[in-house]
Amino acid sequence: MLFQVEDLVSGYGKIDVVRSLSLHVDEGEHVGLFGPNGHGKTTLLRTISGLIPVNSGKIFFRGEDITGLDPRKIVEHGLIHVPQGNQLFPEMSVQENLTLGAYVARTTKGKTSNFEKVFTLFPRLKERRSQRAQTLSGGERQMLSIGVGLMGMPELLILDEPSVGLAPLIKEELARAIGEIATSGVTMIVVDQDVELLLGICQRLYLIEKGAVSLETADVSQVDQAEILEMYFGKVTE
Amino acid sequence: MIRFVDANRRLLALAGIVIFLLIPLVVENKLLIHLAILGMLYAIVASNWDLTLGYAGVFNFAHLAFFGIGAYTSGILAVKLGISPWLGIPCGAATAALASIIVSIPAIRLRGIYVALLTFACSQLVLLLLLSQHQITGGQQGLTGVPQLQIGDFRFRESKFAHFYLVGALLLCSTIFLRRLVASDFGLSLIALRDFEEYAVARGIPLARQRLLAFLFSSIFPGLAGGVYAHFLIVASPDIFGFSLATLLLSMVLVGGVATIYGPVVIGVVMTYVSELMASSAWMSDVFGVSRGPVRFMFVAVIIVLTMRFFPGGVWGLIKEYSARSRLGGATADEERA
Amino acid sequence: MTLEAIVAIIASGLVSGSLYALMASGLSLVWGTVRMFNFAHGALVMIGAYAGWYISNRGGLAKVLQPLGKSITANSEDWGLLGDLLHPLGEWILSIKGGFGLLAGVPLAIIFCGIAGYVIYMLLVKPFVGKPGADLVVIITTIAGASFLQNAVQVLFGPRYKQLDRILKGPPVEVLDTAIGLQEVLIIVLTPVSLLLLNLFLKRSKLGLAIRAVAQNDDFARLVGINVNQIYPLTFVVSSMLAGLAGLMLGGLFFILPTMGSEPLLRAFVVVVFGGLGSLPGTIIGAYVIGLIEQSSAYVFSLYWAPVVLFATLILVLIFRPRGLMGGENS
Repeated sequence: MLFQVEDLVSGYGKIDVVRSLSLHVDEGEHVGLFGPNGHGKTTLLRTISGLIPVNSGKIFFRGEDITGLDPRKIVEHGLIHVPQGNQLFPEMSVQENLTLGAYVARTTKGKTSNFEKVFTLFPRLKERRSQRAQTLSGGERQMLSIGVGLMGMPELLILDEPSVGLAPLIKEELARAIGEIATSGVTMIVVDQDVELLLGICQRLYLIEKGAVSLETADVSQVDQAEILEMYFGKVTE
Repeated sequence: MIRFVDANRRLLALAGIVIFLLIPLVVENKLLIHLAILGMLYAIVASNWDLTLGYAGVFNFAHLAFFGIGAYTSGILAVKLGISPWLGIPCGAATAALASIIVSIPAIRLRGIYVALLTFACSQLVLLLLLSQHQITGGQQGLTGVPQLQIGDFRFRESKFAHFYLVGALLLCSTIFLRRLVASDFGLSLIALRDFEEYAVARGIPLARQRLLAFLFSSIFPGLAGGVYAHFLIVASPDIFGFSLATLLLSMVLVGGVATIYGPVVIGVVMTYVSELMASSAWMSDVFGVSRGPVRFMFVAVIIVLTMRFFPGGVWGLIKEYSARSRLGGATADEERA
Repeated sequence: MTLEAIVAIIASGLVSGSLYALMASGLSLVWGTVRMFNFAHGALVMIGAYAGWYISNRGGLAKVLQPLGKSITANSEDWGLLGDLLHPLGEWILSIKGGFGLLAGVPLAIIFCGIAGYVIYMLLVKPFVGKPGADLVVIITTIAGASFLQNAVQVLFGPRYKQLDRILKGPPVEVLDTAIGLQEVLIIVLTPVSLLLLNLFLKRSKLGLAIRAVAQNDDFARLVGINVNQIYPLTFVVSSMLAGLAGLMLGGLFFILPTMGSEPLLRAFVVVVFGGLGSLPGTIIGAYVIGLIEQSSAYVFSLYWAPVVLFATLILVLIFRPRGLMGGENS
């Protein structure tokens, strides 16, 4: 097992948003998280990457306890979190943003080849490499955000809502790119509202409600996709 | 029970006033009396500063300027126009009030760091204006020859009591005024604006007006104190606007406890004693060799930083916390008995 | 107005502008990255000048070391092997009677300022980072720090003024029939060079890139593995070194005294607000604009009125364009 979260509790101030949540990801696996807004998905990811302190519970990566480590240490472990919503360095160029993606020592060796990888995956970024991040379109910013994540040579890549707010065409392009990253062998956790997108990429899904896992699907290729969709929407309208 | 506390308080206040009136009779040392007067004047400025800084939560540097404006107004009126200090001092308060309105109009529109910068710039502007008009203000040397206070033939500086009682009365009035203000609906609205601005505004509390009034109300007593200061020291000096006095007064507010009024009043007097006595005590010069004047400001600076680090509530905050805890302890003991 | 007067105004405006640019860019860098205003920045300018003087001047460190040198050379024969080793050191100390010179003084003073900036960060800023109202608390603690440093220097060096040797000695340069002192020329030329170096550091070096990253999005900076707790003090160090450089320049023009940093600090505030808090290009342009406004108003009105004009401008800017004349979205 590559990554494991055990009975995690965290939140802001005295309010717990994540309440005793457990999940696990195997090496090479792609896991999707979905569920209604405001139920702790983003808080969970921010806790995993060390931005929010852990109130209780444990996080393991390759069997090592990484609970409560500094974000920097967690990045050095190869756990890369691409946050939600155009989180970039707005006044820097595409090139500079990508360079900063390879900030930690572990990534400097592969920097040149990683640049190539990102540019083959997102040719648009190559065209705009000297443009400032804040002048990019929404889709391009999301590509750049993921590109910055890839520069960190992820052993586990966590994507938070990559498709949110994008036009259908761009969403498709992005989904294809994420699929390519997945097939290249990177282990991933993807959070998204779009269950169809998750089903296209992931082997397993977790439904997160009220800060905990309320449903876990087995291998999605074995079950009927429509069934899952129905389950989810059925649950939400309940 | 409540009436009992009230009666107790009144008795305590009465005793305090009696003791205060007796101080100059008992204390022989003239320096100690002089420092007490200075300390009380600073305490007035510090406690009024606390109204805007602590209660309104507006970090600003305006009150030293109000103090300086009061001092220079009354001083200039007396030196250049021969107007009686008894008229000049209220005039000083009026100009300080006017200045408070002028500075708060732009300050209301700004937030946080910008208010601090603006009021800092304004107080420096006042200083620069004073320095630029050196024919009237005496420039860098300060305005000298300010007449002392007198009633008929009775000269205040020749008496041990006069300034002491006058400034004491001023401090008492200022403190009562501030405490009343803070406990009033106006004071509550300031606290509401400080703690829950959006909510308070949504409930119809006029932010701009309340902040302007906070500045206005807290400018009057510093203006008066400034006037008395100039006639007490018979000079109005640009040092009033300097970093050192600003630091000293700031330390009174912070060490005393922000948003307490009483804290800055008490610590204002104490800090004046501590810093002035350090400047004049012999052992300081033995320990530090050369000049001892600067050492007291170093000391004040260290106290400020330590207070901010370890007792952000100030001395008064500590006392409150302690008494709250002991009251709480008493309550639980009562419950256990029941 | 004669051509000569115009050239003189421009030259002195550029000199003031240069000093303000060096100071204000440091202030702006710290504000942009740490979101704090360092009121001890003026004291760092003063520290730079004093450190430069202390190392370079014969009345400073060299004089203090003389007795040590004498006692080493006098006694080294009795110390055996250790004495043989120490003897050249003693002779060297005795040979530096004239001070270590500016060649040592300038770089060492800048390094010293960097260290002082680090200490200021650790003592006065770090304990409050991330707490509510930290920006205002830090104003208080750094004011206290400035007061401490000013008074400490007065205790250490006494109230008597010092002066740095001029770096370039020689007759003034003639520009369009106007004489401009060599020190002034040096300042005018050296400042853009150092600002260019700063720019290169911020744009090309890994740490410089990290500083800008933290300034633009500190959350995302954490997620790419930047140690923000390391970047904050680094920003203070860089900014303090710039202040030290300004102090060395100022110390070569005027007298060195404990309060020498206060006035330029006020001007730097004007500049930073004028140029928009946290915007480096805005700050640098603002510095030169303010320098020129100040010098020309000193000529048109009087020396006394120039600062009044300046602060009145500042207050107007704060009222109507609180984000600065050239400020963008940085607030």
